[in-house]
Amino acid sequence: MSIDVSTLHPIERSILGEIAKNEPLSIERLAETCKMSLDQVRRGVEWLKFKNLISVKELSSYFVSLAPAGQAALQSGLPERRLVRAIKEGKSIMSEILASGMLDGQEVNAAVAGARRNGWILFSEGSRMSLTEAADKPSAEETLLARLQQGELEQGKLSEDERKGFELLKKRPGYVEVKEQKQILVQITEQGRNLLPALSEEKPQERRLTSELITSGRWKQVELSSLDVEAAAPSVFSGRRHPLADIIEEVKEIFVGLGFSEIDGNMVQSGFWNFDALFTPQDHPAREMQDTFYISGRKHAIPASKDQIARVSRVHKTGWGSWNAEESERVVLRTHTTPVTLQHLARARPENARYFSVGRVFRNEKVSYKHLVEFHQVEGVATAQKASLRDLMGLQKEFYAKMGIKKVKFWPTFFPYTEPSLQSMVYNERLEKWVELFGMGIFRPEVTQPLGIKNPVLAWGGGLERIAMLRFGLDDVRELYTNRLGWLRSVPKCQL
Amino acid sequence: MPVVNISFDRLKEFLPGVKTDKALEMLPFIGLDIEGIDDSIVRVEYNPNRPDFSSDYGIIRALRGLLGIETGMPKFRLAGKSGFSVKVGRPVKKVRPYVAALAATDGRLDDETVRQIIAMQEDLHNGVGRRRKKASIGIHNLDAISFPVTYTALSEYSFTPLGESLKMTTKQILSDTETGRTYGHILKGDRYPVIYDSAGTVLSFPPIINGKETMVDTSCKNLFVEVTATERKAAEDMLAVIAFTLYDAGFKIKTVIIEDAKKTETPVAAPARMDIDVSYVNELLGLDLDAGKIVDCLKKSRLDAKSSRGRITCSIPRYRTDITHPVDLVEEVAIGYGVYNFEPTFPASNTAGQKSALSTYFEAIRQTLTGLGMLESFNFSLTSRQVQYELSGRPAEDVISVDASKSAEHEVLRNSLIPSLLQSLSRNVHEEYPQKLFEIGKIFRKETDRIEERWHLAALTSHDEAGFTEIKSIMQALFSSGFGMTASTKAASDPLFIKGRCAQILLQDRPVGVIGEVSPLAIQNFKLRMPVAAFEVDLSGLYSGQD
Repeated sequence: MSIDVSTLHPIERSILGEIAKNEPLSIERLAETCKMSLDQVRRGVEWLKFKNLISVKELSSYFVSLAPAGQAALQSGLPERRLVRAIKEGKSIMSEILASGMLDGQEVNAAVAGARRNGWILFSEGSRMSLTEAADKPSAEETLLARLQQGELEQGKLSEDERKGFELLKKRPGYVEVKEQKQILVQITEQGRNLLPALSEEKPQERRLTSELITSGRWKQVELSSLDVEAAAPSVFSGRRHPLADIIEEVKEIFVGLGFSEIDGNMVQSGFWNFDALFTPQDHPAREMQDTFYISGRKHAIPASKDQIARVSRVHKTGWGSWNAEESERVVLRTHTTPVTLQHLARARPENARYFSVGRVFRNEKVSYKHLVEFHQVEGVATAQKASLRDLMGLQKEFYAKMGIKKVKFWPTFFPYTEPSLQSMVYNERLEKWVELFGMGIFRPEVTQPLGIKNPVLAWGGGLERIAMLRFGLDDVRELYTNRLGWLRSVPKCQL
Repeated sequence: MPVVNISFDRLKEFLPGVKTDKALEMLPFIGLDIEGIDDSIVRVEYNPNRPDFSSDYGIIRALRGLLGIETGMPKFRLAGKSGFSVKVGRPVKKVRPYVAALAATDGRLDDETVRQIIAMQEDLHNGVGRRRKKASIGIHNLDAISFPVTYTALSEYSFTPLGESLKMTTKQILSDTETGRTYGHILKGDRYPVIYDSAGTVLSFPPIINGKETMVDTSCKNLFVEVTATERKAAEDMLAVIAFTLYDAGFKIKTVIIEDAKKTETPVAAPARMDIDVSYVNELLGLDLDAGKIVDCLKKSRLDAKSSRGRITCSIPRYRTDITHPVDLVEEVAIGYGVYNFEPTFPASNTAGQKSALSTYFEAIRQTLTGLGMLESFNFSLTSRQVQYELSGRPAEDVISVDASKSAEHEVLRNSLIPSLLQSLSRNVHEEYPQKLFEIGKIFRKETDRIEERWHLAALTSHDEAGFTEIKSIMQALFSSGFGMTASTKAASDPLFIKGRCAQILLQDRPVGVIGEVSPLAIQNFKLRMPVAAFEVDLSGLYSGQD
């Protein structure tokens, strides 16, 4: 197996370079000379070993360090040195020296033997001691101790002098100790050595293309190292619109394509526009607090003309037997977008028009996996002189088709403000079942006539969240409003 | 919506020759939602405009029409006068002024019929009766009553109510029984309605509970039905539905005299009449039916109809109280025609559609901010006091709250968006940082005569290095890349932000928002672990083209 040098990682190059120059090196030493972390070196060594460019062997080395007596000797001197100091102070007989406390009785033999060996003292008159000139020079033992003060030394690498001191001290208990250390040594193999010429012929390697390399033109002299292009990269996340906003946008585009224009209005409405104008009797259960949110402690003058109020109240008195301004003045969080649509129609009184809105509506519900207190309603209305129920069904079908829904069924239902009224069901391929979707109908004359709207108004609408749940495969509608980043970051922008 | 159970046995019995599958398939096309089918019972939801669907008799009546088994107005004949009367006492006129009643004789009550009648009574109470407030029904064993009966109001009386073994006073009933507690609020004032007979037996304490003495069981052959109400029409409408149902169940229906200021006889069973133009029907439905076909369709919807020169005269059975306008007859034609027979037509348009300027404007903001790597969030306008004020440390002033919310998480309208975004962050402490969120939403403000709604934009970033400079860069990028505007900042204070690290956002010296580093207290309150910097801008203030 021959190896292309260009595939070598910078860590590998660095290690090969170092061990080519030197004898086998330890991991620690390599880290030092290559200026890399131990982990990097260990990794590089593993790679190189796998490629058979280096071999690794385990080696024991012995390290010499200070033992307690050695430490003490560094402070106060070896016994022979203390003997020398005592003689210098004029004490020439051992009894005097012992009396001065500079030497201990047990140390006498060692002190005398050491001093003699070093050639530091002479004996005269039997037991009287005097110093030689050599007494001022450090002994081999002293030299080693001083070296060891800076840290342990590898036994095999001691100088001759140091080794002599070590040999001597080793015999004297408690001065030095020797510890074994196992080491991993890295050595270049034959195959590795064969690569060296190719490596040295290579241009210098750079890991990063820097602005400096580009502008200085130095990029011509260097080679950019290969990267592990198959390695995993850290995640980054795209900014994005809320998935529900995507669907709202899609719905708007469909409406525009069908010739509908967008209208928008307030979420806070009067009882008058939210209910009365839509021929919903004032004692209708949907108007109770259990179903509808009313703003606490507020009643506002009905935001309609005197004429409109008079006409609407008249249809209520005729149709339902009673009407009270009080009830109309209550301030309600709209339960549907239709009051906005209706006010727009009452203002514009178009003979031929198509409008749509997408907005939030409110219901006083217990929140659950299928109910929210606040959700989006989509609504479309079309008015024309000959607008008919079949047209309404056709518009609805076309709308669904553009949303990718092909199978649609209709059947009769009831809404207080439309007649005839229909319910639509669509077939969901994923769930393999029919799902109830938008409701629709033609505004009742009791709704349109009081507001001076001449032609039939076809209207349909429903909740958007239901569509979103089907689209995104959600089982819990609350997910749409929790803003869990895990979900928001994972919803695909486009489903192919 | 109320639910009715129909057994397959009854479908087979009343729809001879029709396979059950076919009958089930047709249910939606008379306006019913199939809620579920188990074993041999189908549960259907019906719309509150059709009280006659409150028992399977009414539903079968409609199915027989649509399937062509029996068309035109359902057979119904009053079997004459019962001779019984109800005297109305003056005190009740101030409490629950109207009563209507009938006698049903020579019938037979089996278990299923009793079940249907009880379910019907409950549905009528809740629907047309508006939870008994507007009208309520009492059904009694006729043979246990000594006529005439009196309907009046007394200040206090006692009797043994249905389901109890001892006599109770009206006060006790209101406080000690479940129906008393549920419906007692309907009775205002110190007099309680009562129906008692000439022997002093209490038939009923309307609208709360019946007496035990006149209780109905399967051995009853003759019934007395009374409806008390706050409106005459409600009483008569409800009685009509019951009259037809009992008639279909095999009873003879006889009238009862109501001795009020005037003497009247109930039930009133005469059909209503209404005319409709052939052209009106065709235009509204988008069909081209001739008069004869329209008459057929109406008959399949169980009405009677005759045509003459482009006009059709309809007879509407008394229980169809939902038909009040010719447009209601158009729907009856559609149902009789069969909604499944309608071919949708896509109408040509000569209108050009367009999105609102506001939508376009918001899209530009979304594009700019998502381009800066931000994620859009959706939060509720209706939030909690806790999130909006307590956790964010802002004063709870001019709070807009809603009545009787079922959840403390949705009780006040937002006056600012940032707290909701902080709440979103609190759900994501284990997700990867940086986290950058924005939201476009409405905020609400109290004015003297209205609630002001304004569109706001809020954005924030949260990560170890999040700070004022970063969020200011984003804010400036929004205005410069989005709208070619230059925004500046001026030192300000806001309890949500760190003192000395909060500013007003200015566009040409006009304040349009607030920006700053969120205070560590708020961060801690929301149980977050990373610094947050945020800004919020009043978009309605920026954009003048809004309607």
